[in-house]
Amino acid sequence: MTGPGTGFLYPFIDGDERDGAGLLDDLAGSAAAKQADSHRLRAATLQACSGEIGRAADALVRRFGAGGRLFAFGNGGSATDADAFVSLFARPPRGRALPARSFLADQAVVSALGNDVGFDLVFSRQVIAYGSAQDVAAAFSTSGSSANVLRGLAEARRRGLLTLGWTGYGGGDMATSGVVDHLFVVESSSVHRIQETQDAVATALWVEVQRRMADE
Amino acid sequence: MGGRAGHRAGAGAEAALPDAGPFRDLATTALALARRFRGGGTLWCVSPAWPWHARHVAVEFVHPVVVGTRALPAVSAEGPDVVAALRVGARPGDMVLALGPAGDATVADVMRRAPTWGLRTVWIGAGPRPGPGAADHVLWAGGDEGVTAFDGGLVLVYHVLWELVHVCLEHPGLLVEETVPDAAAVCVTCADQGTVAEVVALLSGNRASVRAGGVLEEVDVTLVDVPAPGGLVLVHAGSAVAVVQDGAP
Repeated sequence: MTGPGTGFLYPFIDGDERDGAGLLDDLAGSAAAKQADSHRLRAATLQACSGEIGRAADALVRRFGAGGRLFAFGNGGSATDADAFVSLFARPPRGRALPARSFLADQAVVSALGNDVGFDLVFSRQVIAYGSAQDVAAAFSTSGSSANVLRGLAEARRRGLLTLGWTGYGGGDMATSGVVDHLFVVESSSVHRIQETQDAVATALWVEVQRRMADE
Repeated sequence: MGGRAGHRAGAGAEAALPDAGPFRDLATTALALARRFRGGGTLWCVSPAWPWHARHVAVEFVHPVVVGTRALPAVSAEGPDVVAALRVGARPGDMVLALGPAGDATVADVMRRAPTWGLRTVWIGAGPRPGPGAADHVLWAGGDEGVTAFDGGLVLVYHVLWELVHVCLEHPGLLVEETVPDAAAVCVTCADQGTVAEVVALLSGNRASVRAGGVLEEVDVTLVDVPAPGGLVLVHAGSAVAVVQDGAP
């Protein structure tokens, strides 16, 4: 019954097991360890990325100042990270609201493009439709190698948009693509820990943008 | 999960590790959800304030990132009337996981009504905690609610919850199915305590059809100024004894 993902971490107990107390202790201990891992990775990544966060914030402030807009995209959980990033800018918990939109927001557009031209092009085609040279494209991928994300970034670069990329696993293809102006790499092989830390970096970037705009 | 001790965005791991309570709550919640999944239940995910979190939780269960992990039914319920969507869509034995701050009136409403539909409830959020009894399971992160919703703090809570649910599913002996009330066998409102029920229809002769614990039954409403269908009443021994006002069961 032990599954491939987690079974090695926990004692195997047979189907007649009835006392859940031991399991709950194990689970609570595991949860505490995961949180500690996540916090360590977050702190290390924020430190490693601090210079890039500052440079990206400077560039974003210039783009917004010139009338640019922010577009974000990703797949699956990373799609929701893109949505969160957009929400942080467009409907911020505090500070100044800025124009931002997710390329996942419209099911009709995503499914039309996916069906007619292929899922690899669902983001690049939206860059073509909506993007202009003063805008910003922000892409989230835990592997850094999602084809549609990379094509979206490449199209954005071709059209003069500022490009931001979040990746994990040593950077993946995103790190070698040469189309990302500001790259944030989370050095982990856990999809979950990567996503949590990408969100922390994205939020730190938003904080820096807000700080610069408040100083203007 | 920063919980009682709390943590701040960017804080070092050792700086503010919370006490064991929140982790134990997480484990207990995972076991409860695993039991319901084992019984065929669906997890409904709701987040009016942070809709992307509801979608993230749902996709986590439906399309797991760990290869070989089974897909489990989870749905993000969105739209202008989440209560109506759950009322018609959810079945007794399902679960609802809501994400939102303690002051989220829609989440509070869902948490209050869901037991009448036979759902187990989980509320995940950050900032000031909701009051006791706000949900079957309350998982709370520390920090500023406005920022923790974005900086990975809440994501960590449901990532770990997802993983623990799958660990629990590897322990079949502990997944004894909870009994979902059977309308023919029991009267769920005859227990010693009052039970919150949702009015389904007003009938003649000071009677009303109500739903409690996912089960429909007819009760006497002579004692109360019975609300329209959708309203909540407190039922005891076959009679509605009080009307439940918003925010004050």
